[in-house]
Amino acid sequence: MTTGMRIKRAVPFALALGIWFFPVPAGLTAPAWHLFAVFAAAIASVLINAFPLLTASMLAVGAIVLTGTIKPEQAYSGFANSSVLLVVIAFIVAQAVVKSGLGRRVSLFMVSRFGGSSLGLAYSIVLTDAAIAPAFPSNTARGGVLYPIVLAVAKGAGSEPDSESRYLGGYLMFCSMAGLAVSSALWMTATSANPVALQIVQQAGLEIDFGKWLLASAVPSLVAIALLPLIVGRLFPPRVGKTPEAPAAARKELAGMGGMSRDEWITAGTFVLMVAGWIFGNRLNLNTTSVAFMGFGVLLFLNVITLDDITKQGDTLVTFLWLAVLFAMSAQLNELGFMGYVGERLASGLGGLSWTSLYVTLIVLYVLIHYMFVSQTSQVLALFSVFLDVGTKGGVPLPLMAFGLLFASSYFSVITPQGGSQNIIFAASGYLTQRELYKLGGLITLAFLAIYLLIGSPWVYFVMR
Amino acid sequence: MGFLTRAPFLLGLAFAAAACGPATESQGPAAAAGADLEFSGSWSGLGSRHTISLGGERYGSIVDLKGTMLLTGPGRPGVGFQSEVIGLTDSATGFQGRSVWTDERGDQVYSELRGEGTAAKNRIAGTILSGTGRYAGMTGSYEFSWQWVMEGEEGAVHGRAVDLHGRVQGGPAAGGSPR
Repeated sequence: MTTGMRIKRAVPFALALGIWFFPVPAGLTAPAWHLFAVFAAAIASVLINAFPLLTASMLAVGAIVLTGTIKPEQAYSGFANSSVLLVVIAFIVAQAVVKSGLGRRVSLFMVSRFGGSSLGLAYSIVLTDAAIAPAFPSNTARGGVLYPIVLAVAKGAGSEPDSESRYLGGYLMFCSMAGLAVSSALWMTATSANPVALQIVQQAGLEIDFGKWLLASAVPSLVAIALLPLIVGRLFPPRVGKTPEAPAAARKELAGMGGMSRDEWITAGTFVLMVAGWIFGNRLNLNTTSVAFMGFGVLLFLNVITLDDITKQGDTLVTFLWLAVLFAMSAQLNELGFMGYVGERLASGLGGLSWTSLYVTLIVLYVLIHYMFVSQTSQVLALFSVFLDVGTKGGVPLPLMAFGLLFASSYFSVITPQGGSQNIIFAASGYLTQRELYKLGGLITLAFLAIYLLIGSPWVYFVMR
Repeated sequence: MGFLTRAPFLLGLAFAAAACGPATESQGPAAAAGADLEFSGSWSGLGSRHTISLGGERYGSIVDLKGTMLLTGPGRPGVGFQSEVIGLTDSATGFQGRSVWTDERGDQVYSELRGEGTAAKNRIAGTILSGTGRYAGMTGSYEFSWQWVMEGEEGAVHGRAVDLHGRVQGGPAAGGSPR
């Protein structure tokens, strides 16, 4: 190991110890402060490439339990979290789509229609997501639907994870992941965090229905969707430009595949039933994760995927371990009052600003704070009303402040790979390194922030007067 | 590009540090011993709620909430506390609870809570009984209303209390409080 690497690896420990032994700020408790020290160090270690996320999270969970910062049952609660389990099962089911041959068929179909360029493929995926989003109240489930398609398209185009050919796959994966964030902002019913935030907005005296939401979100969200594949393409070039011959070749290969096999029919049928369960889950009182478990069980029962296939899913285990730990740590930071404390102190310290400056500052802070959250809904519940209160009391018009926070509650999810459980499925694909995910996440979030502030805010102000 | 990669994290860390600030112990305005000192603030909490039906429209719930209480005003006993509440709500008879506030030193304030506990009349009144450390001997009272209480992920319950007002006697504010 080089001296540079040794220094790099020492930085997270120094950061953790520095924060840990700094006097606990007035109003916080020692456990909350110490947990923040470990959490910040774990994220920093990934950002500076000192450790992989799995290593950082394992060291972190060991430290917080062994030092008595939080109880073991609190530290391990992420392993039983339904969102974490949904991600893991969706990941395995996606492999079934590929293995059965259905993924290949879908991939060839998509390439035959949109495969003239990598940009065309990216737009087809992002627009498909935007089109199906209003029917899916869970964007994690929507990620579970899109991921097998994106995976199949990437593999069909010869892009494999952890290889030189990974760039096209990485490009498509990130476009899909960021597309989910925008489609969740576009439609009122596209993520479970939206109805929660709407209840808070209603308490503040503003009624927002489906049409009003769409009117306010349409312009900034459609601009974001239009620019997303272009911006990601500049930041992370897919290294595959125009492929005018690809659609014809795909059509030929598709014709050569013949009819669907038994496994393809079973996978397609199971997938359709799972999608129906996810769409109508709320109305039928079905748990989204249980729908995924049942689909997984059916695929195992009918031997579409076998125990042997599961034993090869080492990446899934890695994802499960780090995600569950980060999920629990973020939830505990929230439960111990750290998130609320930071949010309330920051928001209430902005007195004296003009309402426009206050609005921009609050939205920027609200987005950046998501770095510490692993769930959109958790941040909405912890901070939405605080920021809404401070903004409106500072003179920001209620509709503008409300919509600014509502949209941010969706598009901020891409800021980190763990910023929304829907991200994890794509982040764990192996097409992008953790460092690339953080880099792209930060930059795309800044792009979204600029679009929604510079285009969305005047638009909302204009149409909601 | 390296800086841009880390910029959101560094900004977030800087904001968190700015929000937290150092644990200062500045002297507050001296007040006469025994004088009432007023404070106000807000409280956000999350935890769990278990509800059973008691027949018809009547129901009973046990709640366990933990969160951040931030206080303002010249008589505040501290800048903020981690506040934990356990309680029993009966839709017919109201709410009975107990609360403990813990500050950055681990010193605590204990109180009893009582209120209607319904959506329409959710005013909760608290009586500060005693405390430990710098809050030893402190008494007082406070009131707050729930701005909202709603179910979150995994059955968790979240709530935000506003319009929190209270007064204390014999607290650290009388002889110089943490600000």
